[in-house]
Amino acid sequence: MTKSDEQLLTQQLTDPKSQRTAFERLVREYSEPLYWQVRRMVLDHEDANDVLQNVFLKAWAHLDDFHHDAKLSTWLYRIAVNESLDFLRRQKNQIVVSADDGSQNISQTLMADRYFDGDDTQALLQEAIAQLPEVQRTVFNLRYFDEMKYSDISQLLHTSEGALKASYHIAVKKISEFFKARD
Amino acid sequence: MTNEEKYLRERVGQENPFRTPEGYFDQFTANIMAQLPDKAPVAKKVAMPLRHWFYAAACVAALVVTAFSFHFHAASNAPQQVAVSENYIDEAADYAMLDNSDIYQLLAEE
Repeated sequence: MTKSDEQLLTQQLTDPKSQRTAFERLVREYSEPLYWQVRRMVLDHEDANDVLQNVFLKAWAHLDDFHHDAKLSTWLYRIAVNESLDFLRRQKNQIVVSADDGSQNISQTLMADRYFDGDDTQALLQEAIAQLPEVQRTVFNLRYFDEMKYSDISQLLHTSEGALKASYHIAVKKISEFFKARD
Repeated sequence: MTNEEKYLRERVGQENPFRTPEGYFDQFTANIMAQLPDKAPVAKKVAMPLRHWFYAAACVAALVVTAFSFHFHAASNAPQQVAVSENYIDEAADYAMLDNSDIYQLLAEE
């Protein structure tokens, strides 16, 4: 979406007469990119669908809280990241799994998932990413897969670029070591 | 790019291995719009009624008056030399409606 399109959409979202139509356009525009953000975090399609629905319902409920000094896309991504992290924390509280067992389960679960088309290597990659602390996992996904600029990630996560670079490099190192140990 | 990142990209790539059910995104928008509640009316900020401002002002005024009275009372109780006016006795006599003969008599009785 171009900058002017986003500005127009933002204006329409503040007008009660055009709000609903504008929100539908917002959902249509951002549901797919946000879905992939969420899916990479939560792994399972049904979980990603639940989280994504919560993202848009929250966005609708808090539309009046949106500060127009931030980009609409940044605001939505921030909600998506927070909802994904909340989901993972709730999931962690519900299921206590040892590090070794949990990793194997993730890889095996993914290979059995009909909505996962990757090979063993890609399943192992997700297993390695799942071992990272949640925020580091988010940073890795945004940088490695989306090639998002550190300045944009900084706005999303309210973390300094320096801290993000350090976090990403540590994540890359951990995942590299994970694979080198298996080579 | 660091050597480790190069190794990782060559080893595992950047492909997205995840898939969605067919037509998922087309249906998603309609599903969400069907779930959206009507927008709640935005709560209007209600200005405090004028009489409340008067009550508040009255309370502040009462506090100020109390503070001043306390200070004045404390100041007046402090021991100080009072300059006795030469006219004090005359003024007191006028107030008591006593003439000089009454005063002499009173003084003699003491």
